[in-house]
Amino acid sequence: MSVWSWLKLTLCLWLLHKAVKAMGWLLLAALAAAVWPVTVVAAAGYAAAWLRGWPPVRLYRAAAWALPVTMAWLAAAALRVPGWPAALAPGRPWPGGRDHLAAPGLARMFLLTAPAAVPAGLAVAGIIWAWRIYAIGAGLSGIVASAPITFDARQWKRQVRTAKGITEAPGAVPLRARGGKIPVGGTIRAIGHRWHPVFTLPATACARHMVVVGATGSGKTNLMIRLWAGWFAATLAAARAGRGNWPLLIVLDGKGGRDARVKAGRTRRLLYGAGARQVAIWPDEARLSLWDLPAADLAVLLYQMIESGTGAAAYYADILQAVLTLAVGAPGGAPLSTAAFLDRLDARWLQAAWDPARYPAEAARARSAARHLPDIQLRYATLLARLGPALDGPGSLAEADAWYFILEGTREPSVAETQAMAITELAAHAATSLHGEPRAMLLAADDYSAVSGRVPVSSLYERGRSLGIGVQVSAQSWQGLGRDEDERYRIAATADGGIFVLRTPHPEPLSQLAGRRRVLETAHRLVGSSWGDEGTTRIRHAWTADPDLIRRLDVGQACYIHRGAATFFQVARPKPSPLTLLPPPAPEPVVQVPVPRQEAAPAAWPAAPRLDDIFGPGAAR
Amino acid sequence: MTTNPFEALGLPARPDLDDEQVRAAWRAIAAATHPDRSDGGDLARYTAASAAYAELRSGWGRSEAWADLVERAERSCEPDTSPLPAIPGEVPLPPVPPWRPLMDLGRLPARIGRGRPLRLLVRAAVAALLSMAVLALIPGTPAAPADVGGLILWFVLTGRRDLAPPPER
Repeated sequence: MSVWSWLKLTLCLWLLHKAVKAMGWLLLAALAAAVWPVTVVAAAGYAAAWLRGWPPVRLYRAAAWALPVTMAWLAAAALRVPGWPAALAPGRPWPGGRDHLAAPGLARMFLLTAPAAVPAGLAVAGIIWAWRIYAIGAGLSGIVASAPITFDARQWKRQVRTAKGITEAPGAVPLRARGGKIPVGGTIRAIGHRWHPVFTLPATACARHMVVVGATGSGKTNLMIRLWAGWFAATLAAARAGRGNWPLLIVLDGKGGRDARVKAGRTRRLLYGAGARQVAIWPDEARLSLWDLPAADLAVLLYQMIESGTGAAAYYADILQAVLTLAVGAPGGAPLSTAAFLDRLDARWLQAAWDPARYPAEAARARSAARHLPDIQLRYATLLARLGPALDGPGSLAEADAWYFILEGTREPSVAETQAMAITELAAHAATSLHGEPRAMLLAADDYSAVSGRVPVSSLYERGRSLGIGVQVSAQSWQGLGRDEDERYRIAATADGGIFVLRTPHPEPLSQLAGRRRVLETAHRLVGSSWGDEGTTRIRHAWTADPDLIRRLDVGQACYIHRGAATFFQVARPKPSPLTLLPPPAPEPVVQVPVPRQEAAPAAWPAAPRLDDIFGPGAAR
Repeated sequence: MTTNPFEALGLPARPDLDDEQVRAAWRAIAAATHPDRSDGGDLARYTAASAAYAELRSGWGRSEAWADLVERAERSCEPDTSPLPAIPGEVPLPPVPPWRPLMDLGRLPARIGRGRPLRLLVRAAVAALLSMAVLALIPGTPAAPADVGGLILWFVLTGRRDLAPPPER
């Protein structure tokens, strides 16, 4: 074969190849022109999806919503022409329409075929858009090598814009949605989760354990307040419908300061809008009584409140515990106030309370501990004075629908840690108490790391799990979640209600929990500076929740990680419905302010003669 | 004393101010009103400006303050949501009446008014105009009621977001 004939053959083959390709495109163009109403809808749907960053499923759902119209159209056609010919209704206007290429004729033909063309066009647009996303992502399409990166960045911007539009609509993201769901914000992108324009969570997710991690200024507060209000509204609605217990929200704000007061005020306004009757802000406006705890729990708590040390100090710790058991568990019941408790840390009081005739062992212990009592009393007087009057009652958790505890973890960490310990103990008591009305509880700890010195987050979690309380913990960073890697992983890995990650500089450990997904990567051979026609495609693994994307999140953007999938969304600022109607205020004040309880003078009753002592056992009968 | 920190610093109430703008505004007021000045300054104004600066010095603080202002403006025309007195014990709640859907319909005007009525109006106008075009171009055909039904469906589905949420939601 000569060079000239080889060239001719090559040229012919190239022309043949191009002709076949051109023929294919021409056929496609002819088909698109023949079914032009479908083409018009498909083009509009594709353009809308491209401009608004919609996923293909958005177009499929729109097509599904249009199907009832198609059904109605076919039904109307069947009424006119009964029987099978009705099925031909979509094609009937077509032949006539082609003869009227003027604008009114085209419009008429489009309207006549719209009931079928709209769902078909939207479905076609969805398929083409899905192919486009696949082809760009896999590297099969695009003019330059950076096409997947620029496509993704552009789509992200559009998705964010669309999500922000949704969050700004007054009715799109209410506090509570149907089916006990909590709307959180507009969905930006869903990877592995089902996509919905508004990202919602079931209220039951809040009843389990949740972790929120985000740097200062990342929008963590808005997210948490929305989750609290949403959980409260959903649980309240369920309780009113007889499907659950009345909600009790407990928020521990570990940082304190002015910001905490502003946040507490916002939370309260929102909870009133969600239907709460009483929201208490501690310690500014409400008090709790530590002395409501059962005697045994109270003795343990008081013991744990004091740093007792180890080694030689263990001796002192044992004496301390013995004295507390004697003082709190004395006959006649536990102390009812700080003053009453301090009164009991006195040798005379204890010896009078523990009558040697009836309680010889306890009386002997009280005598042995007598020389330590002034020191112990001094320590507790100092501690309880530092804790302030807000834990000295009166008041109990059951008296309000929600409690917002402001702990000065930044200003006075040791006091705040002790207060946090006491409050978690009271919450645990409220959850297990058999006396009051059972409540559905959510314990939310915001910036808990500031006060976690005495009760680590992991034990808070474990207690919550055993008591059936939902626990929500927030931290400013991965490191703030726990004291060591082991504790951090234990907290994050057991967050079965999901993990919210906002902008944070080190999201990798949290991203790892979402796992990886399989994606296609295509490598093209370059011929000079352009693509050749050869290449390879391989499967590789990519982050489900991309840490680089999380690092770049804007204020109010968050990623929800749950069950190996991730959803990026724009948090909507929580606002109550402007139509919220509150019940009319009671005509007369119904509040009975509890009077601080007074304990009986200890010296009088232990010395009083008992009937058994006078008449002998059973003489009263 | 004003409760608007932006006003206290003489700044426009916007969330996108930068740190330097806020700092410059505070420095200008502080220099003019500091109590150590020879003329005694203006302690009240200086205190107000310092408090406002503490609130607005970070981006987050500015966005919160701005959002609070917006909320306050919205709340001024909303029903009273001040705290109710505590209700001791369990309050028996009235059962949900069977005519609840009618009550919800009755609230529709208020929901429109508190939502985005202008957008709803535009949507309604578009749907109405297209429906009229359908009835004018293809009267009496089976496609006409289907097209109009489709437009009504579109209006209902897309217009829901422009309504204010129902009470307690």
